[in-house]
Amino acid sequence: MEEELTIEILFPEFCNLYGDLSNMKYLQKCMPKANFHETAFDEEPLFVTEKVNLIYLGPMTESRQEKVIQKLLPYKQKIEERIEQNVVFLITGNALEIFSNYIEKEDGSKIEALGIFPIYAKRDMLHRHNSKFIGKWEEIEIVGFKSQFTFSYGDNTHGYFATVEKGIGIHQESQLEGIQKNNFIGTYVIGPILILNPYFTKKLMEKMGMKEPKLAFEEDVIKAYEYRLKELQNL
Amino acid sequence: MKKRIQFYFAFYLAKISVIVLKIIRRDATQFPGKLAITLCPNFLDQIGKPKTIIAVTGTNGKTTVCNMIENCLKENGYDFMDNQLGSNTNSGIASTFIKGAKLSGKPKKDLAVFEIDERSSIRVYPYVKPSYLICTNLFRDSLMRNAHTEFIANMLSNNIPKETKLILNGDDLIVSNLSPENERVYFGIARLKTDTDTCENIARDMIVCPKCDSKLEYDFVRYNHIGRAHCSKCDFKSPTIDYEVTNIDFENKIMTIKHQEKEEQYDLINNNIINIYNMLATITLLQELGFSQAQINPVLSKQKIVDTRYSKETVNQIEVITQLAKGMNPIACSRAFDYVRKESGNKAVFLLLDDLHDAANGSENTAWHYDTDFEFLNDESIKQILTAGARYLDTKVRLEMAGIESKKVICQREELSLIEKLNLEGIDKIFILHDLYAMDLKNEIKEQVKRKIQEKQLEKAKE
Repeated sequence: MEEELTIEILFPEFCNLYGDLSNMKYLQKCMPKANFHETAFDEEPLFVTEKVNLIYLGPMTESRQEKVIQKLLPYKQKIEERIEQNVVFLITGNALEIFSNYIEKEDGSKIEALGIFPIYAKRDMLHRHNSKFIGKWEEIEIVGFKSQFTFSYGDNTHGYFATVEKGIGIHQESQLEGIQKNNFIGTYVIGPILILNPYFTKKLMEKMGMKEPKLAFEEDVIKAYEYRLKELQNL
Repeated sequence: MKKRIQFYFAFYLAKISVIVLKIIRRDATQFPGKLAITLCPNFLDQIGKPKTIIAVTGTNGKTTVCNMIENCLKENGYDFMDNQLGSNTNSGIASTFIKGAKLSGKPKKDLAVFEIDERSSIRVYPYVKPSYLICTNLFRDSLMRNAHTEFIANMLSNNIPKETKLILNGDDLIVSNLSPENERVYFGIARLKTDTDTCENIARDMIVCPKCDSKLEYDFVRYNHIGRAHCSKCDFKSPTIDYEVTNIDFENKIMTIKHQEKEEQYDLINNNIINIYNMLATITLLQELGFSQAQINPVLSKQKIVDTRYSKETVNQIEVITQLAKGMNPIACSRAFDYVRKESGNKAVFLLLDDLHDAANGSENTAWHYDTDFEFLNDESIKQILTAGARYLDTKVRLEMAGIESKKVICQREELSLIEKLNLEGIDKIFILHDLYAMDLKNEIKEQVKRKIQEKQLEKAKE
């Protein structure tokens, strides 16, 4: 079963900031027999022609955001189809903005994005937001960190990733974090989110089609998760 | 006129604060500069500045390069102002100008050496225009503060004054493209035996060509994006090096630098490649200023790396080495890990990498652990890894992710009782890798280690 799973990592040569690729390395340790496919920027994404079980896109620099939008624009319809087909997407950090309507720069100019979700992002390169996060997703408490130059605005009430328990949602006044539609999950939470959140990772593996998923270093990642959750709750 | 009144009000108040701070022995502070800038926002623009300003920026090596330059200048009879005791931000630089100014606001000295934080570019360079600016390297640093290298490189390129002559690391593909219109010289180290064709580091910010997005072809990789590369599809490539280390004799600790067909030899302080780059940056600047090898080498060869960064002691045949490994700085930690694995003998390693400030205020963002090559610690010669602190459980998982056998690893919350678990059997070297803000802890553990070695020796003697 596990050997039939395919995970596609999009553009790891530059969508790799903040240690986020460790999420895929961890999944590899959890699912050593699964097929991990790295799609380079000059290649056609695998999901266009083949069935994949997880599509992963990590944070990138601002100039790369514009290029990734142009790269994925011809595949917009295919992405929407895959979302409807319940393919799991894990989109972290500012990669989330690729799927929004547009990204507004400080000078008011706009970068048109894929326009799959009814949100838009505003950049402020002079002010970096850093915060700690606890949110609830399917009865699981998600812990993590945010570090970003942008906030997203618009309506995510019909499709958010988590309700905020500590920290902020898609912008400073929002209590709803990220975007979720079917199994598409987009979140501003960065870093090793799968390593930090063992229960979330297990659920994600189930959504990908794994029965009775087992985590790598399960006992230790759960201990670390519980320790951090308590730390963040006590802040 | 109103501006001048505002300036002098801020200047004299800041001058008074310098005297008060000196009396209460708190003069190593950025307070006077902060006060002056608060009272007069364009204070840095208005204060008198020395004719020649040497600035040093970059992710790693700023302090060491400044120390080297200052020692050479001092030994050769130059008088200058510097921000060694203050901070490397706009406030720290303003404080230095205030302390070094006559009551008229004009500078007492004609020369200044400043370490300038990359993030402060936007608040410094519009007002302070260095004659020379060294950029040592640009790497991923604290992601919370510095985000990513493109952000920092853009910030530098957008703010470096046009008239500044750049002294750039030509082996750093990000640095070498800073402010392309500025006059510049490049320093670099030719391919070494230890260089490779492929990169084994996690953090790599120059995989594709910044001009055409094609995959870059590396002629050689030293570490991360340090090396030489070219694009096979466009004209992007590493620059021609002006001051190049053409040979390093590690055994005799001598390097050969070639500049305009002339080769000269310099003594190395140690064999650490980071320090060779720091020396090379210093030598390049000083030669650009007209210094000769005879003026530079005798001073640099006596240069000591400050204790807070590196120290080595031998206790009963066991070397106890402390090495700074700045937390939140993936490349600094990776370089320290690489250094440990490449040292000879059997080793035990203490990891004290937690950000104590962050730990005190909550939960440290450990994303940087996964940009750091903990995998380098997965080496046959490293027999034991001891780590403690608020993030001990995260570090344990990270070491597991690096494939390190759990029987080699000691992870616990409490730092000072780690020593009980240190196993000295067959160990030749003990490394204490520590964060910048863990100096007291590092010193305490170093003393514990030395005591334990001596106690073991006494026990052996009794037997």
